[in-house]
Amino acid sequence: MTVTVFGIRHHGPGSARSLVAALTSLMPDIILIEGPPEGDALLRHAEGGGLQPPVALLVYRPDMPRRAAFFPFAVFSPEWQAIRFGLTHSVPVRFCDLPQAVQLAADPEAEDTAPVEETTGELGNLADRIRGDPIGALVEAAGYEDFELWWEEQVERRADPRGLFEAIMEAMRALRAEAGVGDEREERREAHMRRSIRKAEKEGFERIAVVCGAWHAPALDGPSSAKSDAAVLTGLKRVRVDATWIPWSNFRLAYRSGYGAGIVSPGWYAHLWGDPENATVGWIVRSAHLLRREGLDAPASSVIDAVRLGDTLAALRDRPNPGLSELSESIRTVLCAGHGAPMQLIRRQLEVGEVMGTVPETVSRVPLQLDLEREQRRLRLHAEESRRRLDLDLRRDLDRDRSVLLHRLRLLNIPWGALQEKEMLTARSIRRGTFHELWQLQWHVELVLLVIERTIWGNTLGDAAEAFVEHEAEAAELPGLTELLHGATVANLSGAIASLLQRVQAKAAVATDVRHLLAAFPPLAQVVRYGDVRGTEAQQVLPIVEALFERALIGLPGACTSLDDAAAAEIVTLMSGAGDALLLLDASELHGEWRVLLLRLGQLQSVHPLVRGWCCRRALEQRSIDTGELARLARIALSPAGSASDAAAWLQGLLRGSGLALLHQDGLWVALDSWLQRLDAETFTATLPLVRRAFSGFQAPERRAMGEKVARLRNSETGQSEREDGGTPIDRERARLVLPVLAHILGGDADANR
Amino acid sequence: MIEEHSSVLAGVARARSEQQFAEELAELRMADDRQRPPRWDLSPWAVRTYLLGGTLPSGFEVSPKYIGNARLMEIAISTLATDRALLLSGVPGTGKSWVSEHLAAAISGDSSLMVQGTAGTDETAVRYGWNYALLLQSGPSEQALVPSPVMRAMQTGRLARIEELTRMTGEVQDALITILSEKTLPVFELNTEVQAHKGFNVIATANSRDRAVNELSSALTRRFNTVVLPLPDTIEEEVEIVERRVAALGRALELPAEKPALEEIRRVVTIFRELREGVTQDGQTKVKSPTGTLATAEAISVINSGLAMAAYYGDGTVRAADLAAGLTGTVIRDPVQDRVVWLEYLQTVVKERDGWADFYRACNEML
Repeated sequence: MTVTVFGIRHHGPGSARSLVAALTSLMPDIILIEGPPEGDALLRHAEGGGLQPPVALLVYRPDMPRRAAFFPFAVFSPEWQAIRFGLTHSVPVRFCDLPQAVQLAADPEAEDTAPVEETTGELGNLADRIRGDPIGALVEAAGYEDFELWWEEQVERRADPRGLFEAIMEAMRALRAEAGVGDEREERREAHMRRSIRKAEKEGFERIAVVCGAWHAPALDGPSSAKSDAAVLTGLKRVRVDATWIPWSNFRLAYRSGYGAGIVSPGWYAHLWGDPENATVGWIVRSAHLLRREGLDAPASSVIDAVRLGDTLAALRDRPNPGLSELSESIRTVLCAGHGAPMQLIRRQLEVGEVMGTVPETVSRVPLQLDLEREQRRLRLHAEESRRRLDLDLRRDLDRDRSVLLHRLRLLNIPWGALQEKEMLTARSIRRGTFHELWQLQWHVELVLLVIERTIWGNTLGDAAEAFVEHEAEAAELPGLTELLHGATVANLSGAIASLLQRVQAKAAVATDVRHLLAAFPPLAQVVRYGDVRGTEAQQVLPIVEALFERALIGLPGACTSLDDAAAAEIVTLMSGAGDALLLLDASELHGEWRVLLLRLGQLQSVHPLVRGWCCRRALEQRSIDTGELARLARIALSPAGSASDAAAWLQGLLRGSGLALLHQDGLWVALDSWLQRLDAETFTATLPLVRRAFSGFQAPERRAMGEKVARLRNSETGQSEREDGGTPIDRERARLVLPVLAHILGGDADANR
Repeated sequence: MIEEHSSVLAGVARARSEQQFAEELAELRMADDRQRPPRWDLSPWAVRTYLLGGTLPSGFEVSPKYIGNARLMEIAISTLATDRALLLSGVPGTGKSWVSEHLAAAISGDSSLMVQGTAGTDETAVRYGWNYALLLQSGPSEQALVPSPVMRAMQTGRLARIEELTRMTGEVQDALITILSEKTLPVFELNTEVQAHKGFNVIATANSRDRAVNELSSALTRRFNTVVLPLPDTIEEEVEIVERRVAALGRALELPAEKPALEEIRRVVTIFRELREGVTQDGQTKVKSPTGTLATAEAISVINSGLAMAAYYGDGTVRAADLAAGLTGTVIRDPVQDRVVWLEYLQTVVKERDGWADFYRACNEML
């Protein structure tokens, strides 16, 4: 009976290749792999082609899905190759690490609650776990600056694997002797691994192969005491855990996605694994293809030169083969004319590689996950890690369904897609109309956890979203409720809409805060306006919207008095939002009432000056007051009787938004000018910042035009508009000639307008 | 041979690299036992040691010629070893010509086959010209042919250097295409051609600040391997470069001044880097950048002129006042914009800095 321990690096094509060679010559009758025993039952899925790496074993607590651990496997991971070896040679394979049932039982408060990616025995992570950096010392002793480079040269790209594992064992043994004992968790894990080995021995296996992180190798090799291990392992708390396979991605295997464990260039390693003989040529050809696809020159002759340069560089640096750094340098020098930008492309698409694994349907998963996958297939929306824009045309059935799916996920707080609202506004105003929705999609592998977590709300996305919305609605205030209602409408949750409407009605009836009413209004208006596009019943919403708006109208005059500046600014923002939303509605009665209210607020002296100014502005735009009236209001607001700060606030309200509309209000400018001139030096200094702020929102040309306007007005003694006395008289006969053309364009009758 | 060189060198304003570092090259040749590409004086490994410095087995110290990213030099050497033409590109003052000259000196033992690219450089500088007296007397003949440096390099299998490639007009640049791809130079008038010997290659330099001067055609770009030389990464690197070059130049100019204190060099380099990067070294204060490049080479010339000032008008020790004039002139290239930038920098950064009061006073007096 023999036990052979293979210390490996978790993701390394060289380790994997050496391991396969060693296993082939050893022909073990059982293989024990460092990993969670909960995954044993899932190993059979690795047989056949269904499970395509990169994939990860996910172990989570069903009661707390956020407490989870991932065990990623790439095709070049030694563990993966060991599993495949076992399956193809009918050798039993087991995971031998301390069960996650124990590891995940630890107090969640004590650790970061974010899911931990398992980093067991990862050499790159050593520095974190033991005092100092013994492996760094090893690398330094070898005269290398870069750990990755050292490992790649010494282990990964070694042509002859014989003696490799013995050497690793010896090096690690020396390091462990230096580093001293690990922490409690490490000891438990190693004890459990030893116990698993003894168990296999007892079961009568003859040739036992153990595959574990290099760091653990010495601890598992040689005789061990069952008693001392049992002492470490007794009295451990356990929880129920579930395990499943989930797709993983190269992006997540790479270092820069923020995990300590991982490899810098998974794409490069996969390439090395696939075709080690022609690694150099294959890599440069693939890079050239990529560059060509992106429209960059990469002629065949240059490919040859790049290969030669790569080989020469390796020779100059006394390396047997060009490594990734040599190849990158030669590609940059020969194919990219020294520029760095195309290298980013190669880095992203080749070195890391935009690869995502697949998991067969036979792997068990929670119902919500299944439903999501069904929907993804049906709607041809694939989960990809690269960011992708999606332009949905809501008039098409497929796109509408896609939108519904994304909105449902959004309601469930599963952020796969982000609605590009700003871009949609610009796009709408340019050409597209309201039938388009712009999304940005980016899948993260952790989203699976959220999906599992939301399973408690229902077994299909629709059910879960409905239940979740209703749960959220219980605690929501009025604006939140209407947000949810809007969300439910666009997500086509007809079941939730009715109950939400009831809630809205009930809340609105007792709402005392006008600000809530105002904030609740825009989402509701959206529901009414766009509900039809999506085929939702919108008509039942309209009466509620109208009632809500009426309430807001009644409350507003009271809500606009005795405000401080900050509250006034808030009210103005809410009012302008509500005013814009009102435009969406086809309700002339409401429009009329809104106009009247604005006019009234503009004239009511008890109202905060900021609100007053803004109302005047809106009234002017809606033509409910004329210039004479505006000039009168301006004189009142800016009169010396009031305080200078009130005047400035009024001005600020008035000038919100574009300045062009005000440019032709001569009376206003005269009033403004005389107000400014009347200010004494001290008040002027105090008011200046306020006035400046009021004007700061305008474009430079607008500001200049305003300044010129004031200068001109002061020059003309009468103070009257220059248009009235300076305009050229209209030649009616000549003007009439244009009318037929205009009528043709506008589709009216020229004679009727005469 | 070294003595012979020294005697030649005595009266020369600036010795060529292979003359200045003749001893190093000779030692390297002696120690070099690795394989050399055809007609190379040294093996690629020895060339690398020559450029980056090192200690030979005999204990002989080779001084570093290029301080910075060693990998870039390795790429450059490998490029030439694979028989590809090398284009060194970068902003002014990053040592393109310096590297090119030393490469030619180490590989061919001769850095003199050089063409300076200007708007007025015509084809004869790249191909060949004629001795018109002979041409008129006896028609086209081998004797009447005046070979260009490139042609001579082809005939002898050496490296030709082309400085400021992008300043040459497109036609002249394109004359290089045949030479680089076919390694041959046809002489139509004599119905013959000059075939390049093994070892022939071209090192060109191009200034990447010179936008759209004469952009290289894609056909020509493809025939070059491009290595972009960056500005020094760290202040230590830059201080070391400046110190070495100032010391070398000071010897050449035989200035009676003391070598400037490292502290002064560090201050000048700090000012250059801060203005160039638009932020102070501690990363705390943003500063505006002037219009000039403020390359390392300019820092060297500032220190050098300070050295001269100190030697002839001062007490022989470089002080802030000696450096101020050169510094002000280098920073202020545009009399309006750069003056504002410089003043702001003096007021907000230099004035506040401990121990920089002398600098602040001296620079303020210059304005």
